[in-house]
Amino acid sequence: MHQPPTWAIHFLHWFCPDHLVEAIEGDLVEQFEEDLRIRQYTVRSARVKFAWHVLRFFRPSIILRNKISNPFNRPAMISNYVKVASRNIRKQKLYSFINAFGLSIGIAFCTLIYLFIEDEKSFDQFHANKDRIFRMEEKSYDTWQQDPKNPYSRSAWLQTGLMKAMKDDLAEVEYATRFNPDSRGIFRYQDKVFTEKLSYADADFFKMFSFRLISGNPDKLFQNKSDAVITLNIAKKYFGDEDPVGKTVLIDDEGEKSFTIAGVIEAPPANSSLSFEILLPQENRPYYDRNVDNWGNFNTPTFVQLGQNVNLETFKSNLAKMVDKHMGDRLEKWRKRSTVPIPDDVNMFELEFTRITEIHLKKEIGWHKVSDAQYSLILGAIAILILIIACINYISLALTTSAARRTEVGIRKVVGAQKNQLVYQFGFESILLALISMIIGLGLVVLFLPSFNGFTGKEIDLLQGDWISLLGVTFGITLVVGIIAGSYPALFLSGFRPVQVLKGGFTSRLHAGFAKPLVVLQFALSSFLIISSVIMYRQMMYVTTKDLGYNKEQIVVIPTQKGWNEESDRTVEQFRSRLAQENDIVSVAGTSSSFNEGWSRYGYKVDGEQKSAYVYAVDPQYIPTLGIELAMGRNFDPAIASDSNALIVNEALVKDMKWKDPLNEYLNWEEDSLSKGSRIIGVTRDYNFRSLESAVEPMFLSMNKEATGHLITMLVKIAPGNVPGTMEKISKIWKELYPDRPYDYSFLDDNVAKQYKSYQHWMSIMGLATAFAVLISCLGLFGLSGINAVNRTKEIGIRKVMGAELINIFILLNRQFVWLSLLAFIIAAPLSWYVITNLFLKDFYAKITIGWELFAVSVLVGLVLALVTVSYHAIKVALSNPADTLKYE
Amino acid sequence: MSKEYLGEFEELVLTMVGILQEESYGNAIVEEVRKRLGREVNLSAVHVTLYRLEDKGLVRSRMGGATNARGGRRKRMYQVTNAGLATLRSMKEARIDLWKLIPQLKFNY
Repeated sequence: MHQPPTWAIHFLHWFCPDHLVEAIEGDLVEQFEEDLRIRQYTVRSARVKFAWHVLRFFRPSIILRNKISNPFNRPAMISNYVKVASRNIRKQKLYSFINAFGLSIGIAFCTLIYLFIEDEKSFDQFHANKDRIFRMEEKSYDTWQQDPKNPYSRSAWLQTGLMKAMKDDLAEVEYATRFNPDSRGIFRYQDKVFTEKLSYADADFFKMFSFRLISGNPDKLFQNKSDAVITLNIAKKYFGDEDPVGKTVLIDDEGEKSFTIAGVIEAPPANSSLSFEILLPQENRPYYDRNVDNWGNFNTPTFVQLGQNVNLETFKSNLAKMVDKHMGDRLEKWRKRSTVPIPDDVNMFELEFTRITEIHLKKEIGWHKVSDAQYSLILGAIAILILIIACINYISLALTTSAARRTEVGIRKVVGAQKNQLVYQFGFESILLALISMIIGLGLVVLFLPSFNGFTGKEIDLLQGDWISLLGVTFGITLVVGIIAGSYPALFLSGFRPVQVLKGGFTSRLHAGFAKPLVVLQFALSSFLIISSVIMYRQMMYVTTKDLGYNKEQIVVIPTQKGWNEESDRTVEQFRSRLAQENDIVSVAGTSSSFNEGWSRYGYKVDGEQKSAYVYAVDPQYIPTLGIELAMGRNFDPAIASDSNALIVNEALVKDMKWKDPLNEYLNWEEDSLSKGSRIIGVTRDYNFRSLESAVEPMFLSMNKEATGHLITMLVKIAPGNVPGTMEKISKIWKELYPDRPYDYSFLDDNVAKQYKSYQHWMSIMGLATAFAVLISCLGLFGLSGINAVNRTKEIGIRKVMGAELINIFILLNRQFVWLSLLAFIIAAPLSWYVITNLFLKDFYAKITIGWELFAVSVLVGLVLALVTVSYHAIKVALSNPADTLKYE
Repeated sequence: MSKEYLGEFEELVLTMVGILQEESYGNAIVEEVRKRLGREVNLSAVHVTLYRLEDKGLVRSRMGGATNARGGRRKRMYQVTNAGLATLRSMKEARIDLWKLIPQLKFNY
């Protein structure tokens, strides 16, 4: 017996749906057998014919045929569904509006969050060699502040000499560049003088990264150490329409040098971890020569590009060998000198590396644009909460208004509709509504995107985005929402029995038992958001209004623009004596750094114990200008020569040193073996010189400029009253005294507030989400209470006839909503307390205590909102004339 | 009543299902068409048409019993539904009505 070709049968089995294959194969085999037996074909031609017939079955209507492919297989019915659905949407305008409003906001939120997550994921993906570019990082055993849980400190800031050593010693390294992202310096071209952001890099920078060069030769750039490469914005700012290439500019970062513009580069996109405006060769970085051979100073990030097919394991072991070669002795010394015991198996210092596409979300390593994957999670959770709240609106409204659809269901069933056809019909309706919401939602996305960008600090641009995947995802969300929101009502509605429904005569009230728990869930989610926002708001109010221990109002911060030298000190003196002639200037103080503009910290050993303190170089005007209170002792006095080596410390330092009588103590912070150290002449009350995220740590003020730094920032205290006029005056004086230096100023209170910028963002996002969530659930509640009131119109009429007061009816109608919202609140309170303490408050050292009154405020807000919402219908029904409601029977 | 419209081939297959009664399955229809009309039709076209008729509710199908022929594979047996019968009938009537409208044919000598 001859067999048909097996490959053809396999092929048939492969493409043909399972439920069809047997009958088709049977028919084909039968044909084959008849061809041989009756029609006397040769075996060969019968087989060819068999194969040919199999091929003929390879057509879409067979391959794509699937039992569940098209439940709406009657086109006529679909048009009927559309007709009925649009009639219903139009008939119940209010409910349709509530549903569409909630769903569209939910969809808009989800789409925004999708955009956010996509943007986070897109970071640094545009580099052609992204798989081979790595950022180098150090992992060193932390002997400074031992944290038993995480004894290592990690950083991307490495030695200046590392780049050259890697290129020389490691064959794997193809290119390498150092990249200091954010220095600042004065940029001067003819009469245009501004402070600009400077970035220092090496020649390989232009070969490794895919930033587009507009002019300049990538192979030649930076071979000349006075080359400069600028972005288009800078070119436009200084040169207008002229061609900048070849022009000579002066740049002052710790000393003025002249540079020639050698290239113009496209500004890095918003989703680049490296940001820059002006690129200069590394050799021009201040103190470069001093640092280049010092393997103990960490002052530049380094990026490398490895060759093709480099084994990362061998690279890692070669790195360890290189570290040993250059730093072996030094590490041995560190180990011996360490004040904390270092276990033998611990590596003091290791070099690690991270692929460039991964650095954006590597939050444990500080970087100027690093992010936390947790943000995406939190935002996603908020969006889903809102979507759930909106879906619940749909479900509960659909259930409570279902009375109106009962007759329709009954008639359809009698005429012959199957239950699943009704399920499809109601599902179709909810998907249709979801689709309408999607269109509105997309409009909202376009509308909200600018403020969303503002909140999240992103620069998402829809026009540059991937429209197709965005629409695809939105459509996906919409379908899921339509199915989730529609499935329960569809099952519920389609379950009516025609006999009961059509016979009529049962009350118009309907017991959709599932609606109540849903309302509780919805309220609980809303209360969760309300409580969380109230706590966040209170914390932010606390942080911004807390007495920091000094007066940050009316203080203008002006950098001297002279760099880290005596020239700066002189500028302070000069500016002070000039401003002394103006009567609306209260005082002028100089300091090494203003608040939230960097800090320095010194470590020193006292009796073999490692200690550290923050250090600010100041002048005698500092303490009075800021209104810092002295707990004991006195301020610096310019008349007393020895004060230049004396210190004023804070109470935290006194406590740290366990001094009984601080004014008779010395702090040997320079570890000078010949003297006792610096004398303490005063103790300040603890004031928050850093952010309230941490406790006030030991700190001292010094006038010793050689050791602690020059006064590069001026704090100008101005008199209240005519602030704009005074600012104008200061600016004029500056221009008159220093026409060649840019006048950059800021206000101290703004600078301090900036420390909490990211929290402010989160609070705004949370507030916005809460507002929408509450709005959506209130609308839902409004709809529900309306239906509830209508359902009970007759009952209330009878009650009124029997003598019920307005207030009784009001209570009767609202009681259940009050109970539901209280129950919801009880569920939400502990949850939000837990979440907010663990996610938000944990970042603050100075934080509010969460007492019962916070919850009381939240519950009150929630209850009042709920009551106001339901009252409209309750009052309307309670006021209606019973004669009107009862006369139809 | 319905906007549904049967194509020529659909009508042919539907009629064949009606004729073959208990023995109506893909291959049998191909044979029957060949025998009665002398027309070669492709098996896959017949199958696809049967599925489409089933979608429209004009035929219904079930799997028949296994036999020794055709390698033991079962047949998918088809049967005309009431709706299918009604459609066939209305099409036939429509055609006869049209036929009646043609003037009596005469041979011209």
